[in-house]
Amino acid sequence: MRMRFVAPILTALALLAVAFAASTAASAQTKIASNSAAPAPKRDISGVWLLQGAGGSEGIAPDKDMPPMTPWAQARFDTEKPGYGPRAIPAGNDPILQCDPSGFPRLMFFPTPFEFVQTPAKIVQFFEREHAWRPIWTDGRPLPTDPDPTWYGYAIGHWEGDYTLVVESSGFNDKTWLGATGYPHSDEMRVTERYQRMDHDTIVYNIRVDDPKAYTKPIVAPQRIMKLRPGVELSELPCVWSEENSFTKRIREPAVRGPGK
Amino acid sequence: MNVKFLTLVAGTLALFAVSMPLAAHHGNVAYDEQHPTTITGNVTEFVWSNPHCQIYLDVKDDKGNVVAWSVESQSPGILKRNGWTRDSIKVGDHIAITLVPAKSGAPVGFSGEKTGKIVFDDGHVLKMDQR
Repeated sequence: MRMRFVAPILTALALLAVAFAASTAASAQTKIASNSAAPAPKRDISGVWLLQGAGGSEGIAPDKDMPPMTPWAQARFDTEKPGYGPRAIPAGNDPILQCDPSGFPRLMFFPTPFEFVQTPAKIVQFFEREHAWRPIWTDGRPLPTDPDPTWYGYAIGHWEGDYTLVVESSGFNDKTWLGATGYPHSDEMRVTERYQRMDHDTIVYNIRVDDPKAYTKPIVAPQRIMKLRPGVELSELPCVWSEENSFTKRIREPAVRGPGK
Repeated sequence: MNVKFLTLVAGTLALFAVSMPLAAHHGNVAYDEQHPTTITGNVTEFVWSNPHCQIYLDVKDDKGNVVAWSVESQSPGILKRNGWTRDSIKVGDHIAITLVPAKSGAPVGFSGEKTGKIVFDDGHVLKMDQR
């Protein structure tokens, strides 16, 4: 008789103990994950990261920090009509308004999360924006000598010490802008990025563009900060022409037309 | 004759330019970010879609006339991270929505980032300040 009561009580107590242990472990994990002072893990950059940026309106660098352009680049620059920055005008010709990919490196300058997934031979960068991905080969291969042009390029990476991932890329087409404020690049562009994991939650991001066909000196972008977003799952934000059209007809156009039109 | 023709062409082009949609992606150039305001009304439609979710609502103006407002918010991905779902707003809901209005004076606004907020009659709030 007694045992009939005792057994369920013991089971309940055991379950409570397990639940308590699990919740303590979970909260301890949360604490570590959200403690930016915690040290960074070695040679590990995996996780979901978010650029601390200005809402998609950024150029690669402020105008004052852009090096002089070659005549080839200047001619392209003069045809650009960006929607942001000192040259911003309504009804411009930003290629992404046609659902062209932002491409690389412009994709880096949106404050929309991306995820690093590490495997032995490569680190893959997945972007919520454009639902795009980019492999960064870490198996020691060199960059291709004569790559075919692509929107996102071909990338190789290596660790410098335990906390800095250096990524070099080439093999780009010349159809994308460097950022929301415009600025062209050529298919000879080479990009060097440094992801320096300062602590558990922080990457200091530096990017440099070498493109002698377009600029007389390298573009050295200002340092940017990325923050870890524990628990965040990437969603999808592709540019879908039907959705863009609907949004333009129902929101963009009425907003500009004025009342009662 | 040539001049007349050129004037016609130029005029047509100018009209096209004026009637073209605002190109700035995601519209910040269109909105008066210095003057956020709050409007209150009944939801007629909620669109859960990229590039930005949309809320349509009927709002009574000062004279008692019903004005159909169109409001854009953030992408579904961003709103999800702020606790929204596709069912967070329903047709018929009575809501107060804080937004930045169109500079043109059209009943169109953007509710997102730091200023955006939706308050329901029962007091619960939808925010959008997390990217």
